[in-house]
Amino acid sequence: MPVTQPLPLKSAIQIRNLNFFYGTFKGLKNVNLDIAENKVTAFIGPSGCGKSTLLRTLNRMYSLYPGQRAEGEINFDGQNILDAKQDLNLLRARVGMVFQKPTPFPMSIYDNIAFGIRLYEKLGRADMDERVEWALTKAAIWNEVKDKLGQSGLSLSGGQQQRLCIARSVAVKPAVILLDEPTSALDPISTAKVEELVSELKKDHTVAIVTHNMQQAARVSDFTAYMYLGELVEFGQTEQIFMKPARQETEDYITGRFG
Amino acid sequence: MEKHISSQFDADLTNVSSRVLELGGLVESQTRHAVYSLAQFNMEVANQVIATEKQVNTLEVEIDAELASIIARRQPTARDLRLLMAISKITGNLERAGDEAERIARMVKQILEQGSPRNLPSSELRIASDLASGLLRKALDAFARLDVNTALVILKEDDLIDAEFNGFVRKLITYMMEDPRTISASLDLLFVAKAIERIGDHAKNIAEFVIYVVKGADVRHTALTDIEKAVK
Repeated sequence: MPVTQPLPLKSAIQIRNLNFFYGTFKGLKNVNLDIAENKVTAFIGPSGCGKSTLLRTLNRMYSLYPGQRAEGEINFDGQNILDAKQDLNLLRARVGMVFQKPTPFPMSIYDNIAFGIRLYEKLGRADMDERVEWALTKAAIWNEVKDKLGQSGLSLSGGQQQRLCIARSVAVKPAVILLDEPTSALDPISTAKVEELVSELKKDHTVAIVTHNMQQAARVSDFTAYMYLGELVEFGQTEQIFMKPARQETEDYITGRFG
Repeated sequence: MEKHISSQFDADLTNVSSRVLELGGLVESQTRHAVYSLAQFNMEVANQVIATEKQVNTLEVEIDAELASIIARRQPTARDLRLLMAISKITGNLERAGDEAERIARMVKQILEQGSPRNLPSSELRIASDLASGLLRKALDAFARLDVNTALVILKEDDLIDAEFNGFVRKLITYMMEDPRTISASLDLLFVAKAIERIGDHAKNIAEFVIYVVKGADVRHTALTDIEKAVK
């Protein structure tokens, strides 16, 4: 049985008896977990442990692929998002996602941000300008791009592209932001900037982050979940997980004894 | 304990732990020699104890440098981090226990230089000093084997030293009242007794850090009954 410390705070997402299947392969095994509102929850574990799979269930990203299905409940905003009735576009506006590799659209920096907003809202020119600036400021990249908003998003450096993607996700004001290894392709300085940004984001958003970098989880998260072979092994406050984990398996992993 | 994926990390931890035991062995023998120099009023042995101090200080500094280097390169967590924190604290306690041994040796020198040492009840310090050096050895043993049960025994035995110390102070007071000419030398002995009692305290601190490494519970400033509950 996993050791999960009770969440001392209000939860934004409640995951109950979640099972996930890639065809016949079971990628997640009966996961139960609460994600705290306005906190950063990190998912750690070796490759193939199911942490990215779990993250991808939170905005139904897997629905894009045939043969992948989830069973159980993920309660968010008063409904089970695994319901067939769930409006996926709306869900993905409320639960934004940023991927491992920066994925700017092949359009101007300005339009990278405005594109998503236009899908959900009709804003006038001035309001749109304001929103774009707001989102870029939130993502701590405004000062670097304000004089070249017309340039292609692809002209930016990797670290800037990733912050542009975070800005794009922030622009539609989601309740939750999912970060799937957001810094694994970035240099240490860009990584530090994104990490700094994560702590800022949690003021207005609930953040869930998957990372292979355990020190990153220790630095940025409030809660940490350790997963292995599709199971949640341990979940608790980050400080407790990194100072005194309850499970031997967790301890072996975070101290580098895994194998 | 399972090994790290990085065998160099294991080697680093083993190496720094054995340096701590080396330091511990040095301080333990320093303590025993200090006590011997007192019992035999032996100037030569007292001088040896004082000379060892330099070695102890050098080792302390080297261990701290190794700890800092491991932390910088490995970013240790959980038990590894607790071990390194504990080693840092244990090293500090050992160095201070060494200072106490040196203090005893200096007192012995002073008493010898003042003359007529044998009129004083120095042999009565024997029990306390044996307890203290024994406790230090046990504490090092508990650290070497990360043995919580031995650590618990040490916490209990430190109380015995404290009781011996209090008894000795009462005896010294009687001595001084009977013969005021012994006051100066008696005060020296009082400091010696205090130093022995401190060595016992340092051994006790080391035992507390052994519990911290193994159980993850910080048991400093905690009543013994609560500690026993915490390590269950």
